[in-house]
Amino acid sequence: MTGLTVDLNIIIGGPQGGGVESAGQIALKVFTLKGYNIIGTREYHSNIMGAHSYFHIRVSDNTPRALRLPVESLVAVDAESLLTHVNDVAKGGIVVYDVGSVDQNALTLAPMEHSLKKRIEKMFSERGARPTVSEAIKLLEERGVRTLGLPLKELLRKTSEETGALLASIARAVNIMGLSAALHVLGVEFPYIVKAVEAQFGKRPKILAPNIAAARIAVEYAREKYGSGNTLPDGPHKGRVRMIATGNEIVAMAKIVGGLTFESFYPITPSSDEAHYIEENKYLDVGGDFKEAGLDKLSIVTLQTEDEIAAIGMALGAALAGARASTTTSGPGFSLMNEFISMAVEAEIPIVISLWMRAGPSTGIATRTGQQDLLHAIFSGHGDTPKIVIASGDHVEAFYDTIKAMNWAEKFQTPVIHLLDKYLASTSVSLDEWDLDPSLVEIDRGKRVYGPVKDYKRYEITEDGISPMAPLGFNTMIINSLEHDEYGFVSEDPIDREAMVLKRVRKFETISKSIPETEKAVLHGDPEARVTIVSFGSTKQAILSAVEELGREGVKVNFLQIRVLSPFPKDLVSKVLGRAEKVVSVEANATGQLAFLVRAHTGHSVNHVIQKLNARPLYDVDVVYGVKRIIESGVERVVVSSGS
Amino acid sequence: MARRWLDYKTGAWVQWCPGCGDFGILNAIYGALAELDIDPARLVVVGGIGCSSRSVYYIKGSNVHTVHGRAIPVASGIKLANPELTVIVTGGDGDLLGIGGNHFTALGRRNIDIAIFIYDNAVYGLTKGQAGPTLPLWVKTKALTHPNIQGNVNPLLLAFAAGYTFIARGYAYHVNQLRGLVKAAILHKGSAVVDILQPCPTYNDFMTQEWYEKRIYYLSDEDPSWDPVIRSPEDVKVKAPRILEKMLETGDRIPLGVFLQDLTKETMEERLDKVMPGYLKTPPAKRPIDVKGRIPLHPFRIFKDKLLET
Ligand SMILES: Cc1ncc(C[n+]2csc(CCOP(=O)(O)OP(=O)(O)O)c2C)c(N)n1
Ligand code: SF4
Ligand SMILES: [Mg+2]
Repeated sequence: MTGLTVDLNIIIGGPQGGGVESAGQIALKVFTLKGYNIIGTREYHSNIMGAHSYFHIRVSDNTPRALRLPVESLVAVDAESLLTHVNDVAKGGIVVYDVGSVDQNALTLAPMEHSLKKRIEKMFSERGARPTVSEAIKLLEERGVRTLGLPLKELLRKTSEETGALLASIARAVNIMGLSAALHVLGVEFPYIVKAVEAQFGKRPKILAPNIAAARIAVEYAREKYGSGNTLPDGPHKGRVRMIATGNEIVAMAKIVGGLTFESFYPITPSSDEAHYIEENKYLDVGGDFKEAGLDKLSIVTLQTEDEIAAIGMALGAALAGARASTTTSGPGFSLMNEFISMAVEAEIPIVISLWMRAGPSTGIATRTGQQDLLHAIFSGHGDTPKIVIASGDHVEAFYDTIKAMNWAEKFQTPVIHLLDKYLASTSVSLDEWDLDPSLVEIDRGKRVYGPVKDYKRYEITEDGISPMAPLGFNTMIINSLEHDEYGFVSEDPIDREAMVLKRVRKFETISKSIPETEKAVLHGDPEARVTIVSFGSTKQAILSAVEELGREGVKVNFLQIRVLSPFPKDLVSKVLGRAEKVVSVEANATGQLAFLVRAHTGHSVNHVIQKLNARPLYDVDVVYGVKRIIESGVERVVVSSGS
Repeated sequence: MARRWLDYKTGAWVQWCPGCGDFGILNAIYGALAELDIDPARLVVVGGIGCSSRSVYYIKGSNVHTVHGRAIPVASGIKLANPELTVIVTGGDGDLLGIGGNHFTALGRRNIDIAIFIYDNAVYGLTKGQAGPTLPLWVKTKALTHPNIQGNVNPLLLAFAAGYTFIARGYAYHVNQLRGLVKAAILHKGSAVVDILQPCPTYNDFMTQEWYEKRIYYLSDEDPSWDPVIRSPEDVKVKAPRILEKMLETGDRIPLGVFLQDLTKETMEERLDKVMPGYLKTPPAKRPIDVKGRIPLHPFRIFKDKLLET
């Protein structure tokens, strides 16, 4: 890969709840400690224990934009992981597996999904073989993949004997063993593994000691069997304090530093972890930082409510009282919030809704990603309810967007829907201090009035459509979900009605004018390229990576990333699309929601669409493949399907 | 100078039907507020949607007219964001116990210091008289084409099960007694509910003024020793059977008054101040979030659990 001297891609698989999660985290830490940048995502079933889950990681000395398939290394300490990912490993890659699993047959693996069993059976029967681990190993070796079988049972017993820990209590260490053996083959020195394991388990000697012993025993075995290759050189990012955080955590952090004082929520994947991280940090010692404001502790009320209706309702109440408030949810919960979103528009209440999209419709696939709620977000709420909808392309954008969303909500007294998704939620990245710099953003609470105002009109008709907002408790007034006059008093008068509708229309125009077009949409790459990709949200980095790759192959493509979907940047989008010969929208939904929006706002039809519908993240290979197919064959729709 | 009831009356035309029980409730609320001398700007009346919920227009306050069934969550957010405000909810039986039943239950668990006034007419007034959740089984009011085939919920028992710490029943036309109950509910520290039997002369031709007045009586009139106050955990064991017996009494005799006042449970606000000392001093509505527009915080100084020294 050009520009990347190190580009390692790893999958670590295992049954859910069996330690694969910690092994993934440890891998992220190892490579961060080594001085590399990482990105790592967690793919898992909607299940607590036993179903297959995996960590997909990319390591490089530059910033890895997106995940990559195939991988150079697969850690598969159970049969299901090996059989599931048998086609995900590149030639020359390394697979670590359990020799104790060789006789296992896909057809007898209880947690494995029926269709996958059938596919694997078919694949092997075409080779005249049974769908077993040993056959998979044979296949991998034929394809030029190196394999390293670990006698995990034996190694575990050894660990137990050496540390005195009970066998049953260290069963999960098989993940660390597999990972450590793979890390050894990749040239990572043992002390880094120790440091990462320590960072993962903290100072819990009971867990720490057996895990470190397990790692050492696995590395020793790998060295004996496999020898030692070249040491992986240290990456360029050593000697600094760095952060590893998921999208969920970054949004939580941004809310906290950005002044959130109230978050109510109802648990739903993939939003809960955001709320949990706020909850974890709801009472913060901030010492000197807030001295000037007379505070040394920051408290945030976080409350789990009885449903999503209450979650948004409480946040709205808090906002009316003057709190900076938000809620967080996913599609099903967002559906329940609709009536209150409408009220927030009518009654002009600031509120941020973090909408972590997952695969629908309905309960769909609760733990997998998608971009199907774009139009739902934009058109949420009955009765002419324009609102701000902003979509973040990656973690850093999500950080600033969160603070921006809270500012906009208060400045424009409106709901702001922040579109995120499961991919961002459970993807970790390594970050530097300068990546997340809140001093670049100011806190803006708009036209607020504290204290009694004579003849206060909450909904005063103004030129910009924005009225002075007094929190409850200073003046008598009415905040109203019913149509009202300037005081908020209910009114069905035709003149009042029209004036209020037009006031809200003017407000939305003010919003649209206040946010520069260049903040609403960003054109990446060569403005003269003949092919323009349009997309939104977390597809950003995979597309950027694909655009680079296509460029290297001589295919000139640029990428128009729509950041603010409402109000829509129609001028900029029209201008860019007007220049393009081919416009391709890339989106993880089947109805072409972005394409629809672009056409509705600009009149430009989007003739081609690359759709990701399998509820897995978008990979750069997907985009490269899709663009090439469209250029070669002119097809309208390409469904891209990578991912396990 | 102490405030008078007129100080709480807005200039709005009260658009209830003549003879509607809601007038009595409104007058009782005015009177209670005046006796408590609450500053209207510090009073928040939150309503859902229904005839009753329109009280937000008639009581001077810093009020919120929300959507159907959702007054309680909004009121809860207001109170938790600024516990210094007096927050009351006015709504119908349909609003609070039907569509909003989930929130009604949840509030009891939280014990937020809010007073809920259920204008209980057993019908959906504003939508022209459909059966409300408190309309008894097989009753056929004039707006119904058939007798009611769904049973009724007992608001007091529901409140008891949910954990409300003040539970009372009043009667709309007994303004004086009702004023006392409203006042006690507002004064009570914690989630309070007053189920107010409210004749709807327009749609409920079964539970009429006459029907009610044949049945209602006051707990303390019948039993001068009636003491619903729970002062210790032991009190619950001793008093609960009698309280429940009275709550269960329906049909020919309907008791009114305070059924329960539990002084042993801390409010949500107190709980929050316990887990986050200082919450009550700088609650969400009042806490500074910036220093002169700047954000003085950096994630790397706060979220140390996510940091790694390389
Ligand atoms: C979501 C929603 N569903 C239905 C309605 C229609 N609606 C308005 S008021 C009401 C019932 C009112 O009954 P209740 O709460 O008992 O109040 P009352 O009018 O009897 O005082 C209904 C169903 C609505 N406004 N919103
Ligand atoms: S319909 Fe019934 S509850 Fe509504 S105002 Fe008329 S009498 Fe009162
Ligand atoms: Mg009613």
